[in-house]
Amino acid sequence: MTLSPDSTKTMDAYLTTLRKRLRQLNESEVNEIVQEIHSHILDKASQQGVPTRATIDAAITALGTPEELAGSYVTNAVLQRAQATPSPLLILRALFRWAGLSVAGFVTFIVSVTGYCVGASLLLCAVLKPFFPQKVGLWFNTDSTDPDSFRLHLGFTPTAGVGHEYLGGWIIPIGLVLGAIFLFLTYRFGQWSIRKFWRPQVRYAD
Amino acid sequence: MDKNKPIEPDAPEKWEVQLRKGSLELAILAALWDGRLYGLEILRHLETASELIVTEGTIYPLLNRLKALGLVTSEWVESTSGHPRKYYELTPAGRQRALEMTQIWTKFSTSMSDLLAPLQKENQ
Repeated sequence: MTLSPDSTKTMDAYLTTLRKRLRQLNESEVNEIVQEIHSHILDKASQQGVPTRATIDAAITALGTPEELAGSYVTNAVLQRAQATPSPLLILRALFRWAGLSVAGFVTFIVSVTGYCVGASLLLCAVLKPFFPQKVGLWFNTDSTDPDSFRLHLGFTPTAGVGHEYLGGWIIPIGLVLGAIFLFLTYRFGQWSIRKFWRPQVRYAD
Repeated sequence: MDKNKPIEPDAPEKWEVQLRKGSLELAILAALWDGRLYGLEILRHLETASELIVTEGTIYPLLNRLKALGLVTSEWVESTSGHPRKYYELTPAGRQRALEMTQIWTKFSTSMSDLLAPLQKENQ
């Protein structure tokens, strides 16, 4: 079956865009996807005989836009990889993608960002304490204008010496251990949540 | 916001979409039960046998995921039409999964049918 270059123009453009949008995946995966979609378009367009430009265009329309199609593949791949990756950064990237798709994804993303921030702050405090012993720590400050109010402050404090510092040098081992626990639990929470709540998006024809 | 304001019930069509969405994975596994099929054949099967009409592009990422989960395998086969086709086949794990899902489905639909019997009479 030979097709005129004119009739395949839309299909070629569609497949080129699809390939471009799939670039996050590895090359063999991309080739396989593009080949399968190519095969689908030809099969669908030749249902009533020799494919023409009109039947090819109709087959492409029924597939949805190349951006949508590539988006489903990439989201699936990113979230699938996130379930097995040791990299918290990859998980965060996957969660960011998921956050835009569902409430579960959004909640998981917010909780994870918070968890990573708390863990990183604890670790940072522990690491910086020996270098800035007067400035880094867990502070308990009272506001002089309102004696009933108080605040806990972790990290650098501009009012060093004004409030009362908790923990002292203990911030180093406690920060290291707690920080590591926070990071680890957040990482596992992200993976668990993806495994439990993530389902691929399905679009239905009208 | 008025707390006593009743929540609008979902339109029946919206509920139907959710129902179909949940059964799509089983429908695909069931379509492959009797042997290997390629993407377009699976789509046709879903359309004629189950009225599960998905946007055509949706089925391929989903098949890709079922493959990643080890429930199906795929193979390129040369065809008489001049281009190769990617065929999907159930793995033993896929067959097992389809059987388990069917068991749950049957149990659930039987108990729902009992519950709905009086309403069905009303509908007739």
